[in-house]
Amino acid sequence: MNSLLAAIPPREKIQSIEKPETKPPSEAETIAGLQKIVSSSRLGTFLQCRLKFYYRYVAQIKKAKTAALFLGNAVHETLKAWNKTRWKENRLLSLKELHDEFSRAWEEQSKEEPVNWEGEEEAEKLTGWRLLETYMRQYGLYLAIKPEAVEVPIEADLGNHGLPKLVGVLDLVQQRRVVDYKTSGTTPKEEQSAHTHEVQTCTYAVLYREANGQRELGIELHSLVKLKNPKLSIIELPPMSDSQETRLFHLMEAYVEGLERKDFVPSPGFGCMSCEFFDNCRRWS
Amino acid sequence: MAVTLSANYSKKLGLPGFSSHFFSVSVEVELTDLSQVQAECAKLYQLLQQSVDKEIKQVGFVPDEFFGIDAIGQGQDTQQGGPHQQHQNGNGSHRNGCSQGHHKGSDGHSRSSNGNSDSWNCTDGQRGFILRIVNENNIDKQEVEDLSQQLYQLGVKHLNKMQASQLIEELLAKAGKPSGRTRWSQPRNQQQPS
Ligand code: SF4
Repeated sequence: MNSLLAAIPPREKIQSIEKPETKPPSEAETIAGLQKIVSSSRLGTFLQCRLKFYYRYVAQIKKAKTAALFLGNAVHETLKAWNKTRWKENRLLSLKELHDEFSRAWEEQSKEEPVNWEGEEEAEKLTGWRLLETYMRQYGLYLAIKPEAVEVPIEADLGNHGLPKLVGVLDLVQQRRVVDYKTSGTTPKEEQSAHTHEVQTCTYAVLYREANGQRELGIELHSLVKLKNPKLSIIELPPMSDSQETRLFHLMEAYVEGLERKDFVPSPGFGCMSCEFFDNCRRWS
Repeated sequence: MAVTLSANYSKKLGLPGFSSHFFSVSVEVELTDLSQVQAECAKLYQLLQQSVDKEIKQVGFVPDEFFGIDAIGQGQDTQQGGPHQQHQNGNGSHRNGCSQGHHKGSDGHSRSSNGNSDSWNCTDGQRGFILRIVNENNIDKQEVEDLSQQLYQLGVKHLNKMQASQLIEELLAKAGKPSGRTRWSQPRNQQQPS
């Protein structure tokens, strides 16, 4: 009996068996993980500024969510609910229901991570709602057009090209067109947008093709512009060309090689104005 | 003047699992004059009805309630073979979810999007994930099939990779689990790739 009791580990030991302590991964392990999976935001950040990429994805320095990001997320969540309803329930949400969805999305986010609004929360919330109202008014959607996917995560294994796995979430797919929602402070210009969003749009095209076995018919950027009089800008881009795909793959190669070299130098420029790591960066040497 | 009489007899029968099948026989006979029409009609009706009734009893392949997801919780690679090829019509008929005949999955396996009803159109990883969510959360298999039909008017096995990914998201939400995209995030990472 005594020997049996002796064989039973004390409670603390049992707990330690049940919940083994997890060691945070080393920097090398984190980098190795980042080399295996890439998304358009990771790639975009790396191309924009490698030090910013380092702070965000390697060192994983947590910064408070900005009001703009918070608002953008709430708008995205509401549009997701709107699209799901017209798809699964074959009806359009009323403005009242839409507003309820927006309020719910706002509250959910507040619970997750509060933002320092500096007294502007109500004004920001109103801005978000006015963007959604504008979208509903200006984007005359027929109920007959059904989504093919809403907020769907897709992976594409590009191992055949010697590249990492590409991942991303498509906001909306309908009529073989990939739609991406954006909230912005200025009205985007078509030619500029085609260039500045190329990494993102090409990523979506690769993901769409991989998952559907066919080319997309086009990519649409639906920007909800936060002006005094909110505005909707829809930019329709053609399907990704072969040369754009090659460019994307070259950029992915540069990403993998840059991570391999631990090339995390700063790229001071206009982008620094909105960089959350500005203070960290000033101390970098 | 020769008179041509065309007769057609069709019958559609409902079958279990929202299926149906349908058989139709047509004949043409030549009559020497119109006085023969009534008698010939009666004869043909009887003949065609008997012929159709005799054949339509052979229901061929009838999908059970797990058709489309019948590998769930069972051997996933069992072959059912060909009887379903006799299946002619109705909701149980096979649909092709992919616009092209073959789709190369991310694991490099070429998948047939039609033909063998036991091959899944999505990747092996997605198939395994769907089965795991269903099993671990005791989700009714028919519910999964219904959801797939609701979204895409396709059985689970016929979903392509994007459609399967959407179904996975719906199943995870149903089970109260976080989105499948969380598997991309890094251990310590607060940010998720988007
Ligand atoms: S402040 Fe500028 S240079 Fe520094 S990390 Fe941010 S974007 Fe890069």
